[in-house]
Amino acid sequence: MPRQVLEDTLTADSIAADSALAASGDASAFERLYRTHVARVHTLVRRMLNADEADDVTQDVFVRAWQKLSTFRGEAAFGTWLHRLAVNVVLARRKSVGIERGRFITEEAPLDEARSKPVTLELSMDFEEALANLPEGARQVFILHDVEGYRHEEIARMLGVVPGTSKSQLHHARMALRRHLDR
Amino acid sequence: MNDNWTNRLSEYIDGELDATEREALEAHLATCGHCYAILGDLRQVVARAKTLQDTAPATNLWTGIAREIRREQAPARRDRLVRRRFSLTVGQLLAASIALMLIAGSGAWLALRPQPVADGGRLGNREALARQVDWTGRTDEAIADLQTALAQNEKRLDTATVRIVRQNLAIIDRAIADARIAVQNDPGNAYLNLHLATTMRRKVELLRRVNDMAAARS
Repeated sequence: MPRQVLEDTLTADSIAADSALAASGDASAFERLYRTHVARVHTLVRRMLNADEADDVTQDVFVRAWQKLSTFRGEAAFGTWLHRLAVNVVLARRKSVGIERGRFITEEAPLDEARSKPVTLELSMDFEEALANLPEGARQVFILHDVEGYRHEEIARMLGVVPGTSKSQLHHARMALRRHLDR
Repeated sequence: MNDNWTNRLSEYIDGELDATEREALEAHLATCGHCYAILGDLRQVVARAKTLQDTAPATNLWTGIAREIRREQAPARRDRLVRRRFSLTVGQLLAASIALMLIAGSGAWLALRPQPVADGGRLGNREALARQVDWTGRTDEAIADLQTALAQNEKRLDTATVRIVRQNLAIIDRAIADARIAVQNDPGNAYLNLHLATTMRRKVELLRRVNDMAAARS
C-alpha cells in the first residue's frame, strides 16, 4: 500500500474514533475534528456568503455539528456529513437574512455584469475575486457543482429550483469566469 | 457572437447531452471556431475550479466554539440526552446480538489470518504504533467513562435487556481483543487499524445507546 494511502487510512481511523468520542461528549476530540476540517468549512462559507460573515457562520456550523453529533451514525465520512451540514447552514443563513432578491439572474445578466467592468480590472482580478463577484445564484451553483462536486439534482433540491435552472446558472458562471483565467 | 449551441457547451462538457445532441454539437464544433474556442475556455474554468485551495481563517475560531459548547454541555446536553426516547426492543437487541456475533467472528478471522506482505510504502511500525496508541487510548478513556455510567444506570433496565447488552459487550470485547493482538503484531497494517477502530467505535455507540435508553427510563 502506498505511504500516502496508508497515512490517509490512519487519518480516517483517527477521525472515525474522534467522531465517536465527540458524539459521546468529548470536547477535546471535537476540537481535533475542528482543527482538521476548519479550513474547508471556512472556505466554503466565505465563497458562498462573503468574507465578513465567514467567521461567524463557520463557528455556527461547528456549534451545530456538536449539537447534532448524536445523529451522526458513521454511514458517511465525518467530513462529508460536516460539509453537507455547512451547506445547509449557509443556505439557511441566506434565507434568514433575506438574500433572495436577484438570486437567480436572467439569461444575460452575469455576462453583462462581467462585461461592464473595466478591462484593466478584469485582467487584474484573480479567479477567486471574479468568483466572489458573480451574481448570487450563479456563484452558489458554480461553487456547489464545480468546486464541491455536487450534482445538479442535489443542487436543485438544496436551492429549491429545477435542475434546468442549476445547469443554466452554471453555464452563465463559467462563461463569466472564463474572462478571468490566469493566462 | 453566440449561437444556440454556445449555451449547450457546459452540458456537453459535463456529459449531460443525449447521443443525438452530442453528435449534432460535435458536428457544429467542427465548423464553428467561435464555439470551439469557448469550449476550450470553459474546460479551463472547470479545471481551474478543481485547483482552488482551502484557506484557514485568520483568527482562531475555536475559542468561541468552545464557549458555546461548554454552555451546551452544562445541564442542557444532559437534559436532552435524558429526555431523548430510545426505542430498542428486546427483539431488536437480540437481532443486534446475532449480527454482532457474525461481525465479530468474521472480523476475528480477518484480523488473525496471515496478512500478505505489503509493498515498500508502509509506515514504519514505530510511527504507526504511536498513532494507534494515541487514538485507541482516547477511545479507551471514553469507553471507561461510558461503562462507569452504565454501571450506575443499568438498574433502570429490565433483567433481559441487561443480559443481552452484556452478551453484546462481551462479543465486542472479544473482537477488540483479537484486533488489538493483530494490530500489535502488525502496527502499520491499515486494514487491521481500521478494523480495530470500527470495533471500538461499535462499543462506544452501544454503550452510549444503552445509557441513553436507561436515562430515558429514569
